[in-house]
Amino acid sequence: MDNTSIWLIIIGVSIISLTPRILPVALLSRFEFPAIIKEWLSFVAPAVLGGLTAVSVLAPDGVIDISVNNIYIWAFLPTVIAAVKTKNLFFTLMVGIAAMACLYNIVGI
Amino acid sequence: MQKELKQGIKDALPIVLGYLPLGMAFGVLAKEAGLSVMQATMMSVLCFTGAGQYITIGIMQAGGAIITIIIANALVNLRYLLFSTSTVPYLKDRMPVFTASLLSYGLTDETYAVAMNHYQDHPATAAYMAGLNLTSHLGWIGGSLLGAVLGSFITNTDQFGLGFALPAMYTCLLIFMIKRKADIWVAVSAAVICLVIGYLVPAAMSNLSNIIFATIIAATLGVMINGQH
Repeated sequence: MDNTSIWLIIIGVSIISLTPRILPVALLSRFEFPAIIKEWLSFVAPAVLGGLTAVSVLAPDGVIDISVNNIYIWAFLPTVIAAVKTKNLFFTLMVGIAAMACLYNIVGI
Repeated sequence: MQKELKQGIKDALPIVLGYLPLGMAFGVLAKEAGLSVMQATMMSVLCFTGAGQYITIGIMQAGGAIITIIIANALVNLRYLLFSTSTVPYLKDRMPVFTASLLSYGLTDETYAVAMNHYQDHPATAAYMAGLNLTSHLGWIGGSLLGAVLGSFITNTDQFGLGFALPAMYTCLLIFMIKRKADIWVAVSAAVICLVIGYLVPAAMSNLSNIIFATIIAATLGVMINGQH
């Protein structure tokens, strides 16, 4: 692929990826949402996080893998315990990463 | 103002930890696909879309058309319409619309999750948003640059467990985010719907459109469950 095409792609992807993030805030901020819409929107974050957690742990390579061989599931367990017990994101992250490092090097997958 | 900025930067550090290895992986792939170091880095500066950038490189390497790249990216980034809309009630009246719109460029799965957690008990500020989004973006750019420069010299970062940085963050923020009884049902049903759609339509898993459908159904379910009390 020649240089001009690559730069065109970069600029095209930039516009197409930034627009959906900016546009809603730019256009909808002047309106007061009805209570029911606000309530619906308040469930977007828990839903998104539920989906992202499930996909990232149960399908780490893009394919669903619910088995004892999926070390992401094993690393998930101490992470949940750390999150519930400590309520501290950074500490929980360290527990998750350390668990994964141990599993990766011991199980050797 | 300075306190808010610092808090935003501090809250971005876990994100940076996750973005560095992912950015490096992107840099390596981009270099292999024929992009220069400058192009790989500028792509991360101008696009800031992890999944979208990987897909772009994949299509380029497969010799796909530019229009395919644009459509794939439109699909991958569609979910941000929903994310962005759900931040509006927190941002409006807290800062000028122009500032809020400008800073929203830095909305990603991760900055969204962290910011929404923060807004549960702190009012939104432009300084916090700037600290959070710009620091995260710098992590993504820095990782991409490193990956593109070092290329194949990079040893496998998986052995350090960094592959679990983002899953661990999602897990933790999900647990923090659950306040109402209905939240549990919303999160669980979204998780199940995401996986079922991904199982039935594998393409939905790679372009993340399963997240959109799952969120719309689960949030509607949440309103229905909440309304019963």
